Amino acid sequence: MGFWNRGRTEDLGGGWPQRKVEARENGAGKLWDMWRKSLKKALKFPEYITENVSEELIRLEDLVKVYDTGALKVLGLKRINLTIHRGEFVAIMGQSGSGKSTLMNILGCLDRPSMGHYYLDGVDVAAMNPDELSLIRNRKIGFVFQSFNLISRTSALKNVELPMTYAKRNKRFREQRARVLLERVGLGKRAEHMPNELSGGQRQRVAIARALANEPPLLLADEPTGNLDTAASVEIMELFSQLHKEGTTVVVVTHEEEIAAFTERIIRFRDGEIVSDKPNVPREPEPCGGEGFGASEEGEAIGDTDSDRQKALGDRLC
Amino acid sequence: MLIENMRMAFSAIRANKMRSFLTMLGIIIGIGSVISIVSIGDTMRSMFEELYRKIGITQAYIAIGYWVDEWRESDYFSLDEMERIKEIFGDEIAYIDSDASTSGDAVCARTTVRFSYTGVDYNYQEVQPVNMVYGRFLNQGDVLGRRKNVVMDTVSAMNLFGVENAVGESFRATIYGSVDDYTVVGVYRKDLNPFQAMMLGANTEGGEAFVPYTLLTWPNDRFYDIRIFARDEATMDVFFDNLKSYVARSKGRQPEDFRLVTAKAQMGEMDSIMGGLATAVGSIAAISLLVGGIGIMNIMLVSVTERTREIGIRKSLGARTKDIMVQFLTESAILSACGGLLGVLLGGGIVMMGGRMLGVQAIVKPGVVLLAVGFSAMVGIFFGMYPASKAAKKDPIEALRYE
Repeated sequence: MGFWNRGRTEDLGGGWPQRKVEARENGAGKLWDMWRKSLKKALKFPEYITENVSEELIRLEDLVKVYDTGALKVLGLKRINLTIHRGEFVAIMGQSGSGKSTLMNILGCLDRPSMGHYYLDGVDVAAMNPDELSLIRNRKIGFVFQSFNLISRTSALKNVELPMTYAKRNKRFREQRARVLLERVGLGKRAEHMPNELSGGQRQRVAIARALANEPPLLLADEPTGNLDTAASVEIMELFSQLHKEGTTVVVVTHEEEIAAFTERIIRFRDGEIVSDKPNVPREPEPCGGEGFGASEEGEAIGDTDSDRQKALGDRLC
Repeated sequence: MLIENMRMAFSAIRANKMRSFLTMLGIIIGIGSVISIVSIGDTMRSMFEELYRKIGITQAYIAIGYWVDEWRESDYFSLDEMERIKEIFGDEIAYIDSDASTSGDAVCARTTVRFSYTGVDYNYQEVQPVNMVYGRFLNQGDVLGRRKNVVMDTVSAMNLFGVENAVGESFRATIYGSVDDYTVVGVYRKDLNPFQAMMLGANTEGGEAFVPYTLLTWPNDRFYDIRIFARDEATMDVFFDNLKSYVARSKGRQPEDFRLVTAKAQMGEMDSIMGGLATAVGSIAAISLLVGGIGIMNIMLVSVTERTREIGIRKSLGARTKDIMVQFLTESAILSACGGLLGVLLGGGIVMMGGRMLGVQAIVKPGVVLLAVGFSAMVGIFFGMYPASKAAKKDPIEALRYE
């Protein structure tokens, strides 16, 4: 606690060893205290960001998005009302221009609605400023993009660490957790590889590991298989199914029926409106890989039996 | 976070090695030239200081001012007057002589060498280092008895006699027109570095010798000026002033009619000239830092545009405006500081090499180095501010869509 607080000890009597009492009377000690408190305050996020509070993960109330292009006002979203519960696996479908990307951006807190409310985990994020939205994105949302969006020239490990860096986690924690996550997506052996040394499917799995870094309640995937071949697409979707089974809420934006078939609920968009919202019986994972994902070459490198590994990882992750 | 930022900055710099180097070049040249100019200035100053230490910092001359219209016979000094001064200011004078010197041919057998003679008192060694190697220095008997004994340096002895140890040798010298035989009683060795040799005049062909100053008082035992070494450096200014007043009074003049030249004042003058010069040239060189800074701003702007997508990704992962800002500022600061560091190495290297070639000890002050690197980092931060804020303000959606 600093050399300036060294000194005073207190005799507790009864043969107890003397205990050091931290002297805080002097100025330096007080200053140190203040500094620590302010540091703690700075590092501590508001509870609504760190705690999961609501069973309704997403609630949109009369959500409207207007694009103002100067001369013309275009209605991107027309009074959307939508609720997604914790633990759902949802596909949002629609043609390009249907408003699904707009909705995606708003759901991901990258954009703000023009009108209406967006409650994410019980908190209305519609009125938040950009920095608050950054915090929300960091803690509540894991993004998976069509074009992977890994940071180039940065190892898979560092990419996965990045959200934790912005969450001000310490280095040891970041690295440990990033390794666990990479193993979780079957890339334990590729941690040090650069994105350009990985295949498309592997990159997307790194992106998923990154999205899971801060244990966000919501996983938001925007055309996650758009740049992948069929085999890799199936692999990725099975990974999402797996994550969903473990309790993560997954929202996939796609225009492919085959992809949507993996989900349990399909919401269709057209011209900025919801045209249908139906439950879906998910397609069974193909029986080849046993546990679904991780059936690729990296999967077998992890020593114990699969089920043991799953259990152990699940414990560590949750 | 800061360490993370620095790591990112270094990896970004490494990713574009050539470009980063070219960007740094402005800073490298700027800092390099500032460092070398300031160091050259410092080195010169210390060399001059050493030079003045060598000729004696407590040294001063007093003579009638050249601005005085009519010089009287009494404006010159006599040996008697000098004795009186010695009596009055005895405690404060370390050494005093008539500052007499002359030159003339010295002949030994068939060798004729042009010699310059300096008249000194027997205790000259107390104020000036004379490194005797053979024989002895002039003594009181030589001075009071006006004996024709001389002390010369090894080079002069070589030139005249062909040997270094010329003690006991005699030669024929012409001083003030009269030809006499002189005897060498001692030989000393001059130790000057090349710079001092250049400034004080290196003797390679002619000869130099010390003779009793009582020999060089022609004509009429009168001489133009007196040379004094004060005993105490701290109080010498007052002492010299008092001495000047006394001299003027004793000669029926005003103190301002007499000229007092002190080594310290000369050194101070030299010092301020050198300092002024270094500052002037250094600030011109500093302008190149400005140019370097603009280069950094330019490349950072390019970098921000190139990495728009990366910025978008970072923002989507939770980076705040501040985080992006700090990231890019760190990068430009590091880029610039690296340039500064290389510049210091360049400038310092040039100065050191030059010093070695000239045989002088070059001085590169650590404070200047720190200042230079710090300043270059500041330049980086200042010129990185605009690109960084541009990066930080990017809209995440636009940035993510950027190809």
